Amino acid sequence: MLRLTLAQMRRSLGRLTAAGVAIAIGTAFVAATLIAGAVITRTSYDAVAASYADADLVVTSDDSVSAATVEALAQGDAVAAVDGRLSTWVELSNGSRRTVQQLVPVASDPRLDAQRVVDGRSPDEAGEIALPPAVAERLGVGIGDTLTAHVGQWADDAPGAPADGAAADGAASDPGVDPGVDPEAGPRWVERTEELTVVGVVQDPYGAYAQSGGAGVLTRAELEQWAGDQAVDGGDLTYDSAVVALADGADVEAARAALGEAVPADATVRTKDEQAQVMTAELTDGADVFTVIVLCFAAVALLVAALVISNTFQVLIAQRTRTLALLRCVGADRRQLRGSVLLEATLLGLAASLAGLLLGTGAAQAALWALGRMSLEVPLPATVSITPAVVLVPLLVGTLVTVLASFAPARAATRVAPLAALRPADAPAVTQRRNRPRLVLSVLLTVGGFALLAIAAVFGRSLGDLLGPLVGVLGGALSFVGVVVGSVFWLPRVVGACGRLVGRGGASARLAAANTVRNPRRTAATSTALLIGVTLVTMMSTGAASARVTLSDELDRQFPVDVELADGGAEQDGAAPLVGPALLSTVRAVDGVELVTTVAQGPVLVTATDGATGSVTASAIEPADATALLRTPSMVTGLSPDTVVVAQSLAQDLGLSDGDTVSVSGTETDPSTGAETAAGDAVQRTVVVTELPGGVALTPTTFSALTVPDAQDVAWARLADGADPSRVVPAIQDAVSDTAVMVTGAAVERALFEGIIDTLLAVVVGLLAVAVVIALIGVANTLSLSVLERRRESATLRVIGLSRSQLRGTLAIEGVLIAGVGAVLGIGLGVVYGWAGAVTVLGVVGDVSLEMPWGDLALVLAVALAAGLLASVLPARSAARTSPVAALAVD
Amino acid sequence: MDTTVYVPTDRTGAQPDRDRTTPDVPAARARTLSKVYGAGGSAVRALDAVDVDFAAGAFTAIMGPSGSGKSTLMHLLAGLDTATSGSAYLGTTETTRLGDAELTRLRRDRIGFVFQSFNLLPMFTAEQNILLPLELAGSRVDAEVREWFDTLVTTLGLGGRLTHRPAELSGGQQQRVAIARALIARPEVVFADEPTGNLDSRAGAEVLSFLRRSVRELGRTVIMVTHDPTAAAYADRVVLLADGRIAGDIVDPTPESVLAGLDALRSLEAPVQGTPQRDGVTR
Repeated sequence: MLRLTLAQMRRSLGRLTAAGVAIAIGTAFVAATLIAGAVITRTSYDAVAASYADADLVVTSDDSVSAATVEALAQGDAVAAVDGRLSTWVELSNGSRRTVQQLVPVASDPRLDAQRVVDGRSPDEAGEIALPPAVAERLGVGIGDTLTAHVGQWADDAPGAPADGAAADGAASDPGVDPGVDPEAGPRWVERTEELTVVGVVQDPYGAYAQSGGAGVLTRAELEQWAGDQAVDGGDLTYDSAVVALADGADVEAARAALGEAVPADATVRTKDEQAQVMTAELTDGADVFTVIVLCFAAVALLVAALVISNTFQVLIAQRTRTLALLRCVGADRRQLRGSVLLEATLLGLAASLAGLLLGTGAAQAALWALGRMSLEVPLPATVSITPAVVLVPLLVGTLVTVLASFAPARAATRVAPLAALRPADAPAVTQRRNRPRLVLSVLLTVGGFALLAIAAVFGRSLGDLLGPLVGVLGGALSFVGVVVGSVFWLPRVVGACGRLVGRGGASARLAAANTVRNPRRTAATSTALLIGVTLVTMMSTGAASARVTLSDELDRQFPVDVELADGGAEQDGAAPLVGPALLSTVRAVDGVELVTTVAQGPVLVTATDGATGSVTASAIEPADATALLRTPSMVTGLSPDTVVVAQSLAQDLGLSDGDTVSVSGTETDPSTGAETAAGDAVQRTVVVTELPGGVALTPTTFSALTVPDAQDVAWARLADGADPSRVVPAIQDAVSDTAVMVTGAAVERALFEGIIDTLLAVVVGLLAVAVVIALIGVANTLSLSVLERRRESATLRVIGLSRSQLRGTLAIEGVLIAGVGAVLGIGLGVVYGWAGAVTVLGVVGDVSLEMPWGDLALVLAVALAAGLLASVLPARSAARTSPVAALAVD
Repeated sequence: MDTTVYVPTDRTGAQPDRDRTTPDVPAARARTLSKVYGAGGSAVRALDAVDVDFAAGAFTAIMGPSGSGKSTLMHLLAGLDTATSGSAYLGTTETTRLGDAELTRLRRDRIGFVFQSFNLLPMFTAEQNILLPLELAGSRVDAEVREWFDTLVTTLGLGGRLTHRPAELSGGQQQRVAIARALIARPEVVFADEPTGNLDSRAGAEVLSFLRRSVRELGRTVIMVTHDPTAAAYADRVVLLADGRIAGDIVDPTPESVLAGLDALRSLEAPVQGTPQRDGVTR
């Protein structure tokens, strides 16, 4: 049977190659993902391992390692050196240049030193420091120069307020905590300065301190002194861990056992590799999540590939009906035929997976090279690491998917009757059997899934932040599986209906339309393969568009203006205000800024007729300016010199409603009591309540009638309607970067989250594109199979007057029909899913706007149609080459 | 470009289109027509400088043993294959000089085909199959065409079968649909390739009668390739081929005279005199 299988594979090599490409791409995806995960893990592992240098053993504890433990370790047999590991962050300065730098002590043994001295020497005594080259450059110092260290210290009186971040492992204690800001009275943070001489330059070749770009080195005594000063509790010196170098030739396991006895019960002695593994496992939880998510996309790609494979094998079986029947006639039993098909699938799967593995590895390696050239902070491995998992998982998955996909065709092979050998071979007729369980399953899944989706969309908010999206995702997944499973029942009808529409366009179109419904199952599978990818891409794009608009609307509600520029610097007496004509013209010159104007702001006191008062910020603006500036002009509807526009929140607090009269005055704060009192004369104004986000709005005339001591001008800017905030906002920030102007506003926030949404969308769509590419291979495959099957038919048509270009046109229309229907249905489904997802997830944020990303949808459709057309090119060429004489041949 | 003077005919139903092929110009002819398959030592000379005329308005059979070149001759005459040398004419058009696009138009407008295995399109009904050539040519189905269609359907006895698909028709019915398809565009010549090869003798006789009626009553020209003497006897004339050459010519054949002619080919392996009936022999 093996020889026969191989012979048949050789004959169908072209077909199998096309199917193999689909599997290879899917497998490459899996392989590349696994490799990427492995690279992340290994980078982390290397960094962790590097910080332990060449230590033989690492001692850790749940809490921290005490000085006593380190002492005990030093007494151990065969111990050559022990270092307690600790580091501290200190601000270093040289004139106006300053940086906060991680500092570590000089290692007591070269084997325990993670960094290398590349120039000069290690510090020998207090007052000496060795620095990484980047830090030295930042501070502008070289060997022999001095710099200043700003060492903090808690004043003795009452230590113990803030938690220090040093509790984690000591490769990095948390630099983010700035103890100096602690506002509470009690422990006092005082800073002293120490002069240090630079004696050497150290390099961090293995990325042990990659997060801080290498660590500065002090003598152990000085570092422990400083670390003790900066520690919160000021108590006994402790270490994050201790590293041990053993004497040459010592038995690591024996030493480990002996030291395990010597240390307290809560301390653990591990080899360096074990310790690195433990640490990496903790650090790379995130990487695992990343790998799992990307593998989900790989699974989608493989599912699509499985559809393509299944299709291909079905047609191969149909083509070989006569051969198979002949085999049955000469004595092959069903089991042998099934075995032959499965063997063929296994061989194909193996070969394709192997190709995919190589492709994936190559792609990952290329990516590493590319990243390596970009000189990132993190030292990346130069080559991908080929672990057994990286090799075996793609091979197994690829082969398994191929074999599973060939089960149905293998069953079909066993159903070939020996009698078929005696019948004239015509285009194989695939009868469509009514598969009731499948229909029932599909309907149940679809209806149930959409019901869940509806529940999640309608009641999502009451279901909670977690349950709502969960129900939604479950509903979406179930209904989509239902749709895909049931596609064989309804998709051919849709294609047929579209075909009838297209069929009015002439003979080629009618032929194409008739051809697409000849083998409903194959058409369904081909179209479905495309539908899956298109649905997911559309879902993401619709969801993203809806999220973008929803969040935009929400931001417009929260921020009255696109961009607000305010003086963010410390007050400087006598200096001209930052917000002034110069700033206005600077901002106005930025491309994409439509309008910018100054608005006076200041605290005012609003008093209702019943005496209730509220102190709020008042913004003074001309009604005409406001209408032009605000995204939501209704916020200031009714603003006039006689009125004051009041935010709903204030109106509620003071019990105000439209038409009430309030008195408005400037405020003064009593420096001793902090109480606010009215300043100057009050003016009477009529209240207009709007959805203003907060405070009150008045006209400049009203504002100038008040005495507002702390009034300050801010600039409000509106971006041009077509302007892209993610481009304009940074441009504004650049333009004013040399002043202490603060840039805030809706557009700033929008630029931020649109950047995030766009990046996410691009990544997801990129990942899904793999599935779409595989599906398009499937379309081309199906078309070329049809061409083969219909060789005689095509020749007949040629004989009775079909021209070559008409024949090519027929196939092109067929490809476009299959791809187009898959794409259109996928887009429809994707929009529904995208909206459902947006409602479920964004319902928490506010009112969700359902958006149609028309541009994206048109692009998806255009790509699908163009690809359908492209997929028909090669098959059509081979069809057009068929000589009409073939119609007369009798085989 | 089509180089023939192609005069649209008055389509008056059953009347022969006299102005399309005048009696002087044969419907099809071959002049020193040769076809060699392969090259060098393995070359096979399928047709060897054949000269033959096929009269318009007649039913001619081409006969010969397997490998005699009868199918090749038909392919060349119909412009389905390219000749190695010599020329073939359809009416006054030299088909051996036409390109693919012109040949396609030629087949569309001026040639009809009937195949051994019917070659109907399985996804179309009998009616759609019959009208397909017009559709491919982009012509409208007007009243005149409809009338011709009805004539064909009535003559071929397909009235009740028009909405059936090929799978629902018997072999004989399928072949009659194929004949209607071949005639719908009123071609100058209908080529039939072993039209009874896949049929039982009764259905075969029916099909042959229809072919003969289409010549006698509808004024068409039919050239049929067959190896069945009984089938050949339906023709007005039988051209015998052997080893790529014309080996005989029998006018008004009977099954017996055809058999005799074939026997002579086999036994003598030389050109034979067709059994003289009235006008007798050309070679």
